[in-house]
Amino acid sequence: MPSEVLVVDHLSKRYGKQAALREVSFRVHRGESVGYLGPNGAGKTTTLKLLSGLCQPTSGSVRVADHDPSTDRDRALGHLGAMVETPGIVPYLTGGDLLSYIARVKGIPSRDRPGAVDRAARPLVTGDVLRRPFGTLSTGLARRVLLAATLVGDPEVLLLDEPTLGLDPAARHDLRGLLRGLARAGKTILLSTHLLEDVQEVCDRVLFLREGALVGDEAVNPGGTPFPGGGEGAVRLRFAADVPPELTRGMGPPSTRVVVEGPRQLLVFFTGGESAQAEIVARAIRSGAPLTTAAPPEPDLARRYLEKVGRQEAT
Amino acid sequence: MSSFSRTLANNAAWEVVRLRRSRRSWLLAIPVVAGPIGSALADLYLKVASVATAEILGLLITGGLSALVVLDLSALAVGEDLTLRTHLLTFTLPQGRGVALAARLLVVTGGALASYAAGAGAAWWLAGRLVSDQVGAAHPILVPLHLFLGLFGFLSFLGGVVAAAAVVTRSSAQALVAGVLAGVVGAGLASSLLLQHQLNATFPLALLGVALGGWGWATAGYGRIES
Repeated sequence: MPSEVLVVDHLSKRYGKQAALREVSFRVHRGESVGYLGPNGAGKTTTLKLLSGLCQPTSGSVRVADHDPSTDRDRALGHLGAMVETPGIVPYLTGGDLLSYIARVKGIPSRDRPGAVDRAARPLVTGDVLRRPFGTLSTGLARRVLLAATLVGDPEVLLLDEPTLGLDPAARHDLRGLLRGLARAGKTILLSTHLLEDVQEVCDRVLFLREGALVGDEAVNPGGTPFPGGGEGAVRLRFAADVPPELTRGMGPPSTRVVVEGPRQLLVFFTGGESAQAEIVARAIRSGAPLTTAAPPEPDLARRYLEKVGRQEAT
Repeated sequence: MSSFSRTLANNAAWEVVRLRRSRRSWLLAIPVVAGPIGSALADLYLKVASVATAEILGLLITGGLSALVVLDLSALAVGEDLTLRTHLLTFTLPQGRGVALAARLLVVTGGALASYAAGAGAAWWLAGRLVSDQVGAAHPILVPLHLFLGLFGFLSFLGGVVAAAAVVTRSSAQALVAGVLAGVVGAGLASSLLLQHQLNATFPLALLGVALGGWGWATAGYGRIES
């Protein structure tokens, strides 16, 4: 089995004269959870539609577990659980009806279907929700049932488009927890969203898309991953007064780069572990500047989003 | 079981669930129940003078009711998911979309035609019990058996047109309107041919051909929907 379960290769899609995707290429390895970020119209949903067989590429190719969804639909989509855009719901059907149908289509034998439906639904809905028609469920509950539908048959890959849309904060928190659990359990997740928090909490890698082109592919949390300047860690130093000029010019090894984030704040990248960080903090103190805090920087996804994608619609 | 037959079976069962949950399954009872009752009332109220005319009347009443059923069920089988955008979920499942739709159409069209056959059979049987030939009664305008068979072509025609219209318009309501208009045109053509004494087996066969074209076009088009 190839380790790359999603392969997108020079993928382009046009709707008439409008280019929705332009030469997008990326690979997602088994067990990775990847965020897919970009403003409206960037091509995120189009990519997911192409991966899930909802539409055909204009040029380039996609492969799911080494199968092309256009030509080998059953095998490719058999590996997927996909929720693209916001699928509508038929008000008179129950969640149980829908999940049983999906289990049936996925080839689960009739004796195993109730168990498969239960396993998919248990993390998301409880009680008699699956027995109630969709028309009687709240938006959030209906969305949970739709998410459960993507889990039927324990698919290897999940393609999720704005999965937390329409959920209240508690449900959103629960869902992120569920997705983190699925990622830890080895599921491959491609999560398209506007909500940076979703990516921050669930994903370990992020792709930035702008006007149909991929403009960034990097780790969500830079801790433990290569930093600018070849460093291995970073520490943010905050002072009670202006930073002494000698610190802004560089701090010498083990630091690799100093970023002046404001008159009283520095972000210092360095190589080495905790001892290197301690050395940098000690130097800052020795400079005589009134150091108030020294802490690893929070992963600044919003800043990177704005750098890559622009100012539109960062949330 | 092959992938093709498995998809057919899965989606036929799915359509049965949908008919049951939506209670649209009750529509299938209308031609069977209301057809014969309406025919019997008409026979008695109009004092129909010949058995053949009563049979034709019964077939037309039952066929008309069946037309409404086939229009409604076909429009919803194709257009409901597209209108509600439920297809965004079902199209990502590992099965051929066209085959899945064909299975659902098979259930609704087959159900409506079976319902027509049962209702028409009952109306026919009642006509023979309630009416007797009177001296000097006018000749029937059609051979009842020909009408019975021809109406299968007409009902199929409506089903095929509505299925194709639902894929084009992506709306069950608009497909229903298209089907009603097609029904009016079909009935008008049939009447015109009848008046010119040119109504023969070619007409219902042509309607059946249009139906097959409509179903084929609908299933192919369903497989190509991209948004």
